[in-house]
Amino acid sequence: MAMIDEPLYPIAILIDELKNEDIQLRLNSIRRLSTIARALGEERTRKELIPFLSENNDDDDEVLLAMAEELGVFIPYVGGVEYAHVLLPPLETLCTVEETCVRDKAVESLCRIGVQMKENYLVDWFVPLVKRLAAGEWFTARVSSCGLFHIAYPSAPDQLKAELRSIYSQLCQDDMPMVRRAAASNLGKFAATVEQSYLKAEIMSIFDDLTQDDQDSVRLLAVESCAALGKLLEPLDCVAHILPVIVNFSQDKSWRVRYMVANQLYELCEAVGPEPTRVDLVPAYVRLLRDNEAEVRIAAAGKVTKFCRILGPQLPIQHILPCVKELSSDSSQHVRSALASVIMGMAPVLGKDATIDQLLPIFLSLLKDEFPDVRLNIISKLDQVNQVIGIDLLSQSLLPAIVELAEDRHWRVRLAIIEYIPLLASQLGVGFFDDKLGTLCMQWLEDKVFSIRDAAANNLKRLAEEFGPEWAMQHIIPQVLDKISNPHYLYRMTILQAISLLAPVLGVDITCQKLLPVVIASSKDRVPNIKFNVAKVLQSLVPILDQSVVENTIRPCLIELSEDPDVDVRYFANQALQASDQVMMSS
Amino acid sequence: MWKQFLSKLPRKSSKLDSVSDSTHNHPGSNASSSGNSIQRANSGNAGPGRSTTVKRMSSAVFPSSVVAGIEPLLSFKDISNTEKQNLFISKLNLCSVVFDFSDPNKNSAEKDMKRQALLDLIDFVNSGTSRFTEPMISASCKMVAINLFRGFPPNYRSNSSGGGETEEEEPMFDPAWSHLQLVYELLLKFISSSSLDAKMGKKFIDHSFILRLLELFDSEDPRERDCLKTILHRIYGKFMVHRPFIRKAVSNIFYRFVFETDRHNGIAELLEVFGSVISGFALPLKEEHKLFLWRALIPLHKPKSVGVYLQQLTYCVTQFLEKEPKLASSVIRGLLKYWPVTNSQKEVMFLSELEEVLEATNVVEFQKCMVPLFRRIGYCVNSSHFQVAERALFLWNNDHVISLVAQNRQDIMPLIVPALEKNSQNHWNQAVLNLTMNVRKMLSEMDEELFLACQRKFEEEEEKRVAVEEKRKMTWERLETAASFQPVTGNTAVLVRSVMAPAIAASLA
Repeated sequence: MAMIDEPLYPIAILIDELKNEDIQLRLNSIRRLSTIARALGEERTRKELIPFLSENNDDDDEVLLAMAEELGVFIPYVGGVEYAHVLLPPLETLCTVEETCVRDKAVESLCRIGVQMKENYLVDWFVPLVKRLAAGEWFTARVSSCGLFHIAYPSAPDQLKAELRSIYSQLCQDDMPMVRRAAASNLGKFAATVEQSYLKAEIMSIFDDLTQDDQDSVRLLAVESCAALGKLLEPLDCVAHILPVIVNFSQDKSWRVRYMVANQLYELCEAVGPEPTRVDLVPAYVRLLRDNEAEVRIAAAGKVTKFCRILGPQLPIQHILPCVKELSSDSSQHVRSALASVIMGMAPVLGKDATIDQLLPIFLSLLKDEFPDVRLNIISKLDQVNQVIGIDLLSQSLLPAIVELAEDRHWRVRLAIIEYIPLLASQLGVGFFDDKLGTLCMQWLEDKVFSIRDAAANNLKRLAEEFGPEWAMQHIIPQVLDKISNPHYLYRMTILQAISLLAPVLGVDITCQKLLPVVIASSKDRVPNIKFNVAKVLQSLVPILDQSVVENTIRPCLIELSEDPDVDVRYFANQALQASDQVMMSS
Repeated sequence: MWKQFLSKLPRKSSKLDSVSDSTHNHPGSNASSSGNSIQRANSGNAGPGRSTTVKRMSSAVFPSSVVAGIEPLLSFKDISNTEKQNLFISKLNLCSVVFDFSDPNKNSAEKDMKRQALLDLIDFVNSGTSRFTEPMISASCKMVAINLFRGFPPNYRSNSSGGGETEEEEPMFDPAWSHLQLVYELLLKFISSSSLDAKMGKKFIDHSFILRLLELFDSEDPRERDCLKTILHRIYGKFMVHRPFIRKAVSNIFYRFVFETDRHNGIAELLEVFGSVISGFALPLKEEHKLFLWRALIPLHKPKSVGVYLQQLTYCVTQFLEKEPKLASSVIRGLLKYWPVTNSQKEVMFLSELEEVLEATNVVEFQKCMVPLFRRIGYCVNSSHFQVAERALFLWNNDHVISLVAQNRQDIMPLIVPALEKNSQNHWNQAVLNLTMNVRKMLSEMDEELFLACQRKFEEEEEKRVAVEEKRKMTWERLETAASFQPVTGNTAVLVRSVMAPAIAASLA
């Protein structure tokens, strides 16, 4: 072709593609920026491509987002870390656009580049960029700048550091709440880079201002930095500066603030040390567990295990457990659900005795909760309790509840139980299993919900793996095969599914003697769906059976099905025949 | 009959109606607004079935001492004029106790007492006897603050029902409304009263007061937002000094809604207030006001809930265009920037607003944005969602739009004819097909020669399309090959081109 000889102008191609009205094409070409850069070589990438991108930022946000992301990993294409700074101008522009996603991605990319840049380059290029953005005319630039200080600060010389700190403090007092919020939410990251002496003097006063902001939304974010700041300070300073603030916040009139405190409180325990934790934080936490607002109780309940893990066994038994007991019968189902999802984790903290005396009754009451999510959350963590109280006690006290839940009217609960059965079976042993759970496993095969039937079939396979073919022959196979005469075709289909899963586990003999005849008989079913499922099952059996069986039993059956009046049956029969041909050829 | 019934409802109901117009949901919306009126009748205990209860103030009792030296339960008409000021303050203090309404039977005698006191206060302010003194204003603002400025409970519906956008959400009613309503009424009467001197009032109705009042617009109770709307309007009218601050604070609410949270209950009400604020802007428009259009109003098209307040938003935008027609092209570009990609319902709304904006657009402005505009309209015409395609084709029912198109047909036809051809070849919907044929006929009657030329060009391009696609693929493949021959990273590469190094250094300096 003639155009092979045409000279190649990578930039021209890009410009051309970016002019296209189809956004998908523009996106594709931005996604392949690295190709263009490599084709251009490093120098021309720096001198032509990057300047072009700096100017071409009037595109759809989606394209800009892609550009912001690509530029974050572009250092190799401009000639390595030495030249990383050439990537800053286009990203700086992207930091000022209106769309939040684009700005966030540009900041992320700038951080990614910044951490690789050499110190003097950071001072020459990155710090000025941060300063320009922080002085931006519109809030978008100033918001973006807040997320860059922690990169710029460490390498700056002392005087510049002082300047950066004062700029940050101005951002925290910005006229626009948007900027103050951004400054508040990045305060923790920035503070982590600031020297201890300035931390106490300057950062803490910034923090104090933010905690007294007249906008709820700003104070809310200030709470978030409480924990981060607390970890940076010496324990004594933390007690002096952070503790009063957080205790105060825990009684804020806005529930959103209290909610934030409930989420953060446990992180402060280590920062302030054991004594203040006992005196101040535990009472604050107990208050939050008993808050009027359900949202706050949800957050507090969700952290109960993390909190207790820090406190050790004694304090929780005294102070927290009584609240937990209250929460287990809370009027809000969401509170109970949050509690149920973490409460299992308390068992290792409290030890065996306290768990049996105090936690077990709570588990049991949550297991009988009227709200399925609560029950589900308990069941999914049962193995944690097992480790503490042992299988005997577990089976005595929890099994009745489990048996009850196995017939729960919410299918997701039943599903969770089924998935737990193999684990339970392996720990309880064969004898116990046969007594209590065997019939349940059969019952699920005839559940009204497909997912349950599907899980039940799979469960049988896992049980057969656990207890071996002989046990399966005795306890599973007869019952399963009986059910093939169920009048409803969907249940018959489940049995076929179970057979195809069990066959590989049970081995050739059992399959040939017991399973295969049932499958073959089903090929005469009156429902086409059963017939083509027979074809599928037979196909899956071919590789594990002897060639003679395939030749004498399976193929004749498939050939008959391949002449069925139903088109789907014919299709799957032919598929199976082809597959069996291939297996025969290869063997 | 409906009309008669509706006339008795608060103004809010008319807004509900007009919003739901677009969804053809008249019976439903009337039902919900009549529910509104029932709710109003037995307010007090008609709380929502919220499981958690606000327990605060459960032990509330009135302050036992008589604060302003006068028994608050006296009636205004029983005392001398000189004592009235003290009684006013005394009653305000009485009303500064907030009751728990989650339990309707709790403190019911005290609740009635407060209710009566509020009614007395409203009557007194209404009678407009003498100027309010500073202590009176201060006490009023304090009472209002204590009663109204509160944190709203969390919104459970959004948590539990998942993405319940489509289902019509029942408005939430505040159980304490029987008191809140009277406090709002008092505040409104108080601010509107000629007895309140603006100079003296602004000391107490200050920035922080306004800010907290604005926060209340997020209330879930439509009745509350309706009261706030009227009050904000009056404050804006009366306190000239606060106008810039109010505009700024409301903009901040819009920014937070658009760029951060995507949730706010009172955008429609705030925009309604701004509709009349904008119509009061003096000409020529100040730069600040134009910035408000570009930075607040246009981005308000972005959130997915735009349908809730689009009517008010469109009104604000068209108010701007009436004042300053030269803004039209930038408004249209703004709409194109926020044009919905996947939300067809929103796209239909955008097309409606676009038509209103085009109505107010002159040829000069039109020419500045017609190419991207009609490219977009072309996509809409081809939409597989028949309502979008239909709505786009309906634009040609508008005489002003037709005349704009006719005057610029050389530019527009090449963009639109391909879209029409594609539709006529394979759009699934009969109504869209019919409309497409009509518009096609109209355009070909407008300028047959041009129309046929566009048609031929479209056919040629359709034929070439595969080749173009192939060529693009080839080009990228060649580029890929070329790229693979270049060294990947390397500071070594610099050595080869050492001659160029000073140039680079110069360009970097």
